[in-house]
Amino acid sequence: MSLEKRHNVHVSGGGPATMFFAHGFGCDQSMWRSLAPRYAERYRVVLFDHVGSGRSDLSAYDPAKYDSLQGYADDMLELAHAFAEGPSIFVGHSVSAMIGLLANVKEPEAYAAQIMISPSPCYLDDGDYVGGFSRDDIDSLLETLESNYLGWSSTMAPAIMGAPEQPELGVELTNSFCRTDPDIALQFARVTFLSDVRAEVPKLRATTLIVQCNDDFIAPVKVGEFLHRELPRSTLRIIDNIGHCPHMSAPSATATAIDEFLVEEGLDAPRG
Amino acid sequence: MPHGGKRGASPEALALLDEAACGLLQTSDDGTFLRVNRTFCQWVGRAADELVGRQRFQDLLTAGGRIFHQTHWSPLLHMQGTVSEVKLEIVHSDGTRVPMVVNAILRGSEGQIVHEIAAYVARDRDKYERELLLARKEASRLHTEAKDRALFAEQMIGIVSHDLRNPVTAIVLATELLGLDELSPAQDVAATGILRAAKRANRLIGDLLDFTQARVGEGLSCVPEACDLHEVASEALEELRLSYPGRALPHVHTGDGRCSADARRLVQLVGNLVSNAMNHGHPDTPVTVTTNGTRGDALTLAVHNDGAAIPPTLLPRLFEPMTRGTKASNVRSVGLGLFIVREIARAHGGEMAVRSDASAGTTFTLTLPR
Repeated sequence: MSLEKRHNVHVSGGGPATMFFAHGFGCDQSMWRSLAPRYAERYRVVLFDHVGSGRSDLSAYDPAKYDSLQGYADDMLELAHAFAEGPSIFVGHSVSAMIGLLANVKEPEAYAAQIMISPSPCYLDDGDYVGGFSRDDIDSLLETLESNYLGWSSTMAPAIMGAPEQPELGVELTNSFCRTDPDIALQFARVTFLSDVRAEVPKLRATTLIVQCNDDFIAPVKVGEFLHRELPRSTLRIIDNIGHCPHMSAPSATATAIDEFLVEEGLDAPRG
Repeated sequence: MPHGGKRGASPEALALLDEAACGLLQTSDDGTFLRVNRTFCQWVGRAADELVGRQRFQDLLTAGGRIFHQTHWSPLLHMQGTVSEVKLEIVHSDGTRVPMVVNAILRGSEGQIVHEIAAYVARDRDKYERELLLARKEASRLHTEAKDRALFAEQMIGIVSHDLRNPVTAIVLATELLGLDELSPAQDVAATGILRAAKRANRLIGDLLDFTQARVGEGLSCVPEACDLHEVASEALEELRLSYPGRALPHVHTGDGRCSADARRLVQLVGNLVSNAMNHGHPDTPVTVTTNGTRGDALTLAVHNDGAAIPPTLLPRLFEPMTRGTKASNVRSVGLGLFIVREIARAHGGEMAVRSDASAGTTFTLTLPR
């Protein structure tokens, strides 16, 4: 099966470097719709869905492979080999920031820079480390998912009203959200929120931008500070935003942070 | 609503919203309560002024609900403008959890976004869903167990049959050697009996091995080569006539018999069908085998016997393993013959059909693509 189909890959734009945008848990590539088009004007932009999410090929989902973040990281390297032109920049939201880190540690030459949006190397509290969650919290998430996928799996699609201004968008997103297999969603949730990649963090050689929100329940500022300390070449930018998805609720501030970082790292591209 | 009702709305309308049969609330984009009706306040055991301007909607959720709110609810609301039928647990001021089904609409544009939310308590639905989930888990556990047991049993049959084959083959060879010396008439009868019984045991073991291969493995092995169906059937019948002395076993053939098939498997198929017909047919009547090659796309092989019809209730299960007629227990020990016949047909891309009634007798027909 082709990589394009497996990951529902969409390539757009062109420029001196390739930007890979990786969505986090619970969503698909449409999360990037406020951010990706800006970069497609100046860069080659690669959007995709993780296997098991969005419109990826669900038949490619191997529960053994995707039982750890490394399984996802290996996919990232395959995508990098197939779609990179020029130096690559990996933009990962939430758990995908760590997936990108694992890929880059395994293959240091794969990406020239990492941009981490609301990252966390470990969601569970552990001794002095404050991840923000207990094991009970994660179990309660799994319960919430289970009770919602009862409806999500089949009857949710007609129940969601389309966005009045963009009916075609509403339909498209409804479908991609509903297509997520509940068993896959549960496993992805478990793998995401029980992951601990802290030991891998100092091994990253690539230059890194950490974008953290000042009020994010899932990835608190303390976690961003931890990453900044542990990452040898990193910049920490705190954005004034409530919530876990600044690329959706504060796209301008997020883009400004990314642009400044790209300029500093000599990866900037002329505006069209 | 007591806090910031719409300008111009009549007091009656506001009272109606306040006492509505569902919880109604309005929040800013970050979830901070802007307005909330009395129904919602009562359900969660909190006063409106504890909530408005002070709390966020997501603050009232369980930890899992808050993660879900961030990873599913918010993105969905931003991308689609609406979310509906999400089930969340709201934490009551007394610490208990109130399951609610929640709909939301996003209004306004960047900077001026408002979320309008309607919620209703869904305790019974929650209980029912939990029971469904438990039942589903239990069903899936039982299903896995049953599958494991069946697989184990089938593998066991395979292993035992395989281990039995060597000693039975040793008995056959040794008995054949016995026959080389002069035997008394009584010894000759005994040796012949041993040989017949051992050969039958060997065939049954072969059936069992084929059965496990068909069920546990990837179907029967089958190596098709160019052959002639008339010739294959004719040779098989010659051999079979020796096993059924005193019974007529005529062969009728028409048309072109050329086909691509595994001749060894076809012999096995004819053997099983003839043995079945001999056992169930009337002892005084012939068993007739007809091979027909007049059609261009496929050939047929039919085995016919006269005698009692197969009970209609048995017909749908006839080719399933271990299916036998009611009083046939003296005839065969295990009912694998017809199952293997069907598996051989399938392995050739063909199919089996059966027709049975008291006047015309019983006919099993193999259709074999050319």
